[in-house]
Amino acid sequence: MSTIESRPPAPTPATVAADAGRARGRPPKGFDRPRFLKLFMGVFFLFLFAPIVLVVLFSFNSSRSLQDFQGFSTRWYETFFDSESLRDSLIASLQIALITMVIATILGTLLAYGLVRARTRVSGGLNMLMLVPLVTPEIVAGASALLLFTQVKLELSLTTIILAHITFSISYVTVVVRARLAQLSREVEDASMDLGATRLQTFRLITLPALWPAVLAAGLLVFALSFDDFVLSFFTTGESPQPLPVRIWTQIRFGVRPTINAIGTFMLVISILSIGLALLLPRLFGRRESGLKVLLGREGA
Amino acid sequence: MTEKRFASLFLVPGGVWLLLLFVTPLVFLLAISFGYTDDLGEAIYSTRLGNYERLVDPDYLPVLFRSVGFAFAAVALCLLIGYPVAYYIAIFGGRWKNVLIALVVLPFFVNYLIRTYAWIAMLGDDGLVNGLLNTDVRFLNTPYAVIGGLVYGFLAFMILPVYAALDRMDPSLIEAGKDLYGGPWQTFRHVTWPHTIQGVLAGSVLVFLPAVGDFVSASLLGGPGEVMVGNLIQQQFQASDNWPFGAALTVAMMAFLMIFMLLYLRAAARETREATA
Repeated sequence: MSTIESRPPAPTPATVAADAGRARGRPPKGFDRPRFLKLFMGVFFLFLFAPIVLVVLFSFNSSRSLQDFQGFSTRWYETFFDSESLRDSLIASLQIALITMVIATILGTLLAYGLVRARTRVSGGLNMLMLVPLVTPEIVAGASALLLFTQVKLELSLTTIILAHITFSISYVTVVVRARLAQLSREVEDASMDLGATRLQTFRLITLPALWPAVLAAGLLVFALSFDDFVLSFFTTGESPQPLPVRIWTQIRFGVRPTINAIGTFMLVISILSIGLALLLPRLFGRRESGLKVLLGREGA
Repeated sequence: MTEKRFASLFLVPGGVWLLLLFVTPLVFLLAISFGYTDDLGEAIYSTRLGNYERLVDPDYLPVLFRSVGFAFAAVALCLLIGYPVAYYIAIFGGRWKNVLIALVVLPFFVNYLIRTYAWIAMLGDDGLVNGLLNTDVRFLNTPYAVIGGLVYGFLAFMILPVYAALDRMDPSLIEAGKDLYGGPWQTFRHVTWPHTIQGVLAGSVLVFLPAVGDFVSASLLGGPGEVMVGNLIQQQFQASDNWPFGAALTVAMMAFLMIFMLLYLRAAARETREATA
């Protein structure tokens, strides 16, 4: 199998035609394009976006109703921003996300470099450990973090939320940065050392600049994840200020309220801005690759 | 300093952090699960098995089975919906591939609570759908609503790995299948599906793990008959304040999920080794 795959196939008329089709952006010939699949995609995107469009639309409704739109108004946004406690929650959420982003990005980037370049028995074990948070249900993380904080008598506050968020963000950064690191050619680093740079100088002047797009993209991803996180915050939050998602939870439990639409829309804008920026980053750095590929790394998870 | 020594230093901050704030809490969790609460409601460490015996109590056992059942149903639905979507984008996406994938991922950066809440607004007894159709269907507080919430919550975790697998596949393999007189179904069954099975498995695990532990969907879209293990854990740690029992529930859930986690981790580690070798 491998010998067949490693050799480039001889260009038969069929593959030539297929390549030509691909080059023009059309799917290669010989593929079915069942019409039902197109229909399916339409229904899928409707199902995917209808609830979100609903939230955004009704955040501008002038009445309390969630069934009929009675005119444009920004009253629910005014309710949101006029409430001092909701404003405090918004600021708290932003603080948590920012601090989490900075610390997790630093820790995750260093870890990625160590994992790729050290290759000792310790790094092998750490590689496994690093992946575990990615597949641990959040409730486990939340409950165990809560337990730890009470055991060491750390009062629940924004600090405890941030500690929990960082713990679960490191792995995302490491995965994204490591994928980028694995693609870098070692020769430039070797050349730098040949020219008399120390290892630290080489890391700072050669490796890190090449990693920047991935590092920043990972940071923005962490910002969005932390800003949106509910479960970890819910378990580790103090009395006040509570981050926005925890406030939303309390409000939803009291029933459907139009203010939630406004808060939701506002959070959506912030998340989409940070993710959009992450996707555009490689272009800003003058690279022609897709930001999505950088973010998803090679592991796709 | 050798490169190994130099690079090993970089492992220290992140490694220590994960040991202190990820591994240690899990050890505490395991330890307290053998404990009990005294008359003041204080959690006391001990070596009792009572919390684990309570798991098979008729009050709790059905909840555990239900959680697994709901999660499996969510995985099946995610696969049923996600595979065709990933297939369409990977094979027919052309230069819109990245845009389409970004569109698929986008909703998952809308807060999970808000997305679930939107379904309440749409499907509630006096929600949008019942209003538009002038019907009186009870959507919420049913198992379907909870499973639907899980699907809507975690669908991207299925689509991304399946898409990655399909995208990696050489399209001429499908042509080869057709050249060998395979019909669309045969070609799919013997060529496409086997080539993407790793992505399907990864996606299934990535949906299954958070779905089993979820409590948001069941809390907001379900009624008392749809309680999942996540709800029990959350109650024990908050309202009921019985941390040892909550810990036992969590440990039992983790133990069950461990098989699936290991499966995924082994595949992920192998892939990284290949990618970074």
